Amino acid sequence: MRVLDWMRNNRWSFAAAGVATLWLLLSVITSHFTLNSLSGVATSASFLVIVAVGQMFVVGSGSGNIDLSLPSVMTVSAFVTLILSQGRNAGLFLALPAVLAIGLATGAANAFLVVKLRIPAIIATLAIGYVLDSATLIANRELEVFTVSSMLRAISSSRPGGVPSILLLALALIVVASAIVRTTSYGRTLMAVGQNAGAAHLAGIRVGRTTTIAFLISSVLGALGGMLLSAHAGGAYLQMGEPYLLQSVGAVVVGGTLITGGSVTALGTFFGSILLVLLVTTMQASGWSPGMQQVVQGVMIIAILAAAGSGMGRRAA
Amino acid sequence: MSEEISVSRHGKPTKSPADSASAAPRLRLAGITKTYGPTRAIDGLSFGVAAGDIVGLIGANGAGKSTLMRVLAGVTHPDAGEMDVAGEPIDFAAFSPQAARKLGIRIVHQELSLCDSLSVAENFYVEQPRPNDFNPLWLQDYRRMALDSLQAIFPDNGITVDKPISQIPLPQRQMIEIARAACDPLLRVLILDEPTSSLDSLRAEQLARFIRDRAAAGVAVIFISHKLKEVAAIATRILVLRNGALARESGNVPMTSHEMVAAMVGEASQELERLHRSSFNMAGKVLVEITSPWAGQSIPLRAGQIVGLAGLEGNGQREFLRALYGAARGNRAPGLSCRATASFVPGDRKAEGLFPLWDVLRNATIGIIAAGRNGGVLREKAEMSTAKAWLEAVQIPIARLVSPILELSGGNQQKVLMARALMAETDVVLLDDPTRGVDVQIKRDFYRLVRTLAEAGKLVVWYSSETIEFAECDYVLLFHDRSIRRTLSGSDLTEDAIVNASFSEKDDVQISAPPPSRTTNLHLNALSLMPFFTTALLLLVIGLLNRNAVSALGLDLLMTAAIPLVLVSLAQLFIIGGSEIDLGIGAFAGLTNVISATILVSDPAIGCACLALALAGYMAFGLLVQARSIPAIIVTLGASFVWLGIGYTLQQTPGGSSPGWLADLAAFSVLNIPASALCLLAASVLALAANMSRRGVVLRAFGANPLAMVQSGWSPLSAALARYAISGAFGLAAGLAMTAINTASDINAGNSYTLLSIAAVVIGGSSLAGGRITPLGTVFGAISLSLVGSLLGLLDASTDYNALVQGGLLIGIIMLQTILSKAAP
Repeated sequence: MRVLDWMRNNRWSFAAAGVATLWLLLSVITSHFTLNSLSGVATSASFLVIVAVGQMFVVGSGSGNIDLSLPSVMTVSAFVTLILSQGRNAGLFLALPAVLAIGLATGAANAFLVVKLRIPAIIATLAIGYVLDSATLIANRELEVFTVSSMLRAISSSRPGGVPSILLLALALIVVASAIVRTTSYGRTLMAVGQNAGAAHLAGIRVGRTTTIAFLISSVLGALGGMLLSAHAGGAYLQMGEPYLLQSVGAVVVGGTLITGGSVTALGTFFGSILLVLLVTTMQASGWSPGMQQVVQGVMIIAILAAAGSGMGRRAA
Repeated sequence: MSEEISVSRHGKPTKSPADSASAAPRLRLAGITKTYGPTRAIDGLSFGVAAGDIVGLIGANGAGKSTLMRVLAGVTHPDAGEMDVAGEPIDFAAFSPQAARKLGIRIVHQELSLCDSLSVAENFYVEQPRPNDFNPLWLQDYRRMALDSLQAIFPDNGITVDKPISQIPLPQRQMIEIARAACDPLLRVLILDEPTSSLDSLRAEQLARFIRDRAAAGVAVIFISHKLKEVAAIATRILVLRNGALARESGNVPMTSHEMVAAMVGEASQELERLHRSSFNMAGKVLVEITSPWAGQSIPLRAGQIVGLAGLEGNGQREFLRALYGAARGNRAPGLSCRATASFVPGDRKAEGLFPLWDVLRNATIGIIAAGRNGGVLREKAEMSTAKAWLEAVQIPIARLVSPILELSGGNQQKVLMARALMAETDVVLLDDPTRGVDVQIKRDFYRLVRTLAEAGKLVVWYSSETIEFAECDYVLLFHDRSIRRTLSGSDLTEDAIVNASFSEKDDVQISAPPPSRTTNLHLNALSLMPFFTTALLLLVIGLLNRNAVSALGLDLLMTAAIPLVLVSLAQLFIIGGSEIDLGIGAFAGLTNVISATILVSDPAIGCACLALALAGYMAFGLLVQARSIPAIIVTLGASFVWLGIGYTLQQTPGGSSPGWLADLAAFSVLNIPASALCLLAASVLALAANMSRRGVVLRAFGANPLAMVQSGWSPLSAALARYAISGAFGLAAGLAMTAINTASDINAGNSYTLLSIAAVVIGGSSLAGGRITPLGTVFGAISLSLVGSLLGLLDASTDYNALVQGGLLIGIIMLQTILSKAAP
């Protein structure tokens, strides 16, 4: 079937189709599926998009690379934003560089462990995440003020013309990410490294450098995502990044990016994020308990991998 | 060159096939043909081997020896031809390594297939498992088998059969590999592929004696070697392969080395067809200088030269190319100095060259794109036109530009790789056997290209496994044992000379394999003692801070606190032993904690059923990883959410209670030894028993060398099932322990154990790469980590720092391990 062939060549279309299906389902289940609720979904999905795009770059670099430190980076950045900005716009001049620094430092640490010490990414990023968790706990003691700077809030939660601003930001990020992957040398070399790091080395690519940049992108996006999330949530709390771990991986995988690396799709990640958030919303609307929702998310990701799986995946640790 | 080498060197009468006891040949091949793409690896090969024959099989690189061995061993099926074993015809469709073994065909490969992390005796088991009987001393039989068979072939070998292969030097490994195959009681045909490549003359002589004995007893032996003198000394018949066919067969008439070489090369073409080139450039700029350790005297390589790297495969040529590539890119390369840019054309296309998801265009242009010439931005038109120009130069039709690379023939794929390298326009072009498996026409195009490059002033360094290709070269470097022994040029450069030089390296070179150096052993011992040492140290520090903490009661409390982590770590241990990682084991323990504190209390029957179901689910996920080849991390990550979700559904907030029988168990003590100590003891014993059992050996073997295991006939699925069953059982025990200790449950209580369990396994000395399982080390590693937690508590350190310490510890330990293992030679 030609349609199916086209879809296989444009894997994001599967996620888009899933979104359409779920949306229909949702409108059937809840008789009052207003534009407001759609906008709520879009808002939640947009935060996920920011983080998922970072995860997408890391997964794209292949060799079983994955960034498990994302939730911790998000949480610590949220705390740091509130502490340093103290709710004032001027405070952002302090908070933004600090958040960027956290992102860069985390990414660099991850990259050092993975590239130089050859520690498997799961362990390396998990360990770095733990270190950041401690930093969060310390930051938690310092946090007194729960006011959010208005400028930040405008970016995260306003609705110019009825469209959530965070959605616009997410869309812009997708466009930029897509452009990086398709039109820059870096994007091309990253895809090469993801397909075959050995061949990439022999072709003249600096594999270590390419992988490092991917980890930097991921952590910086995670940090910025945490900053914006703090504004949206109106505060910071422990474990606030927690749900984004599985969901970032899920959005990437469901969207059509290959878990083994070498082929990413920003558009797919976008639709994957929406799909996941829609799924959670559908389950909530159906009155499913939070426990069951977690189970379904876990099962779905495994099922999609298993269906796509054989031959494509390696038995990577 | 005309020294007569008599077959009956030691005075024993030559055995003629007619004298053999049985009339029917042990092995008979007729018309065997095997083609790989455009290459005919074996071309209508026919011969027979009688019982008691010792057939020496010789041939140059690429003559077809390896392919023939693979056919005989059941690894590869021929495209045409027949084979009989002891008169019974072979059905190739059903022929496999296991089937070959059942017929008594045993092969000792050139690349050793031992499992590094298993002991010698365990490696014997894995090769020849006998049916299970519940005998705890089962390993004794295999120890005896190993000792006896080693002694039979290589008396006074001094090999300790309980040592892991990783601690045994290469010559002894080869001896073990030979003994393992040769001790098969059903042995009828023994095939040895370069068996003495690492043996010294004493051992080689012992092997020769053994072979003669077995032949006298009726075993047919096929002996492949490049050591012509050795072959002549031991073989009753010599078969010479050339280009996949039988070039010459000798009977009772002994062959001289000269005759053997002539047969391998081909009587007709003693002189290479030298295609004319304009003068060999001796005046070009020196781009590369080769010194020790690669060469005795300094060898310069100049622009405009075509330099060939010759010698038998595996003598360092490919390593040399890679080192040269590294040197050109600015990496440290002892013995090489390169003042030029270099590009690389890999010959192993699938593994090192192609990007399988891409089309021809992208595969070709990645080289220059990586060099970032356009300021980092891709321009489609420019990319297209550049690619078109170069693809035209290598003669690939432009229409193919957008075809997926995997759709092209091997030869054309190779051309794309060539174009990639050429596009970079570097001073030096490195070729790693690029014409392997490529048809003749494309080979000719290649040679033309190479010549054009040289004429344009490039230096081409070319490793080829086909001697005749060196006709294209100006200058040939002959490699042996990772160094350049001879250089040939001008009129010296004949195929004969190259083959002769490759084959006549001193046959009886004393391979002085250095004994495992003291430092290696010291490092290894230090690593394996670490967990015990840290436990003792921590207990000491804790004791100094607070006397009571190390009193009897205090120790009981400390040990009790450690139990859940110990059990989770043991679960993780068996997973890591299979070179996977379980990100959900902590959550799984949490789930069993919840089930055992809620359902199990109110309704024991259903509770047990639920626990069994959870275990089954855990095993199912493990099976899925193996069956669908999906990364274990994602599956276990997803699984962790399934466990957490179910647990959360069963119990929203922490609570529950401990079932009576479990509480009683927790209070159980024997001879004043508290339950905590008994539990740790039991866990250790069980883990050790599992690891040392037959199943445990198989699991470790799969972790170390899965391909060899599959080839030996073991099922990876059933191994995965067993592995996850053991881990799941320990995870379940951890949940029960948490219930007993806390008399309550909390679905999130187990989460921190996941990372800590990985740390405990690493501290315990097991490798993340798999294959090595150290239960005792892991137990003490887990105890150490638990003690760290207690220590932090005693120091009044804020619990905020717990996570930091845990993460930092894991990183620190892995760094330490990396440094120590790199420092060891």
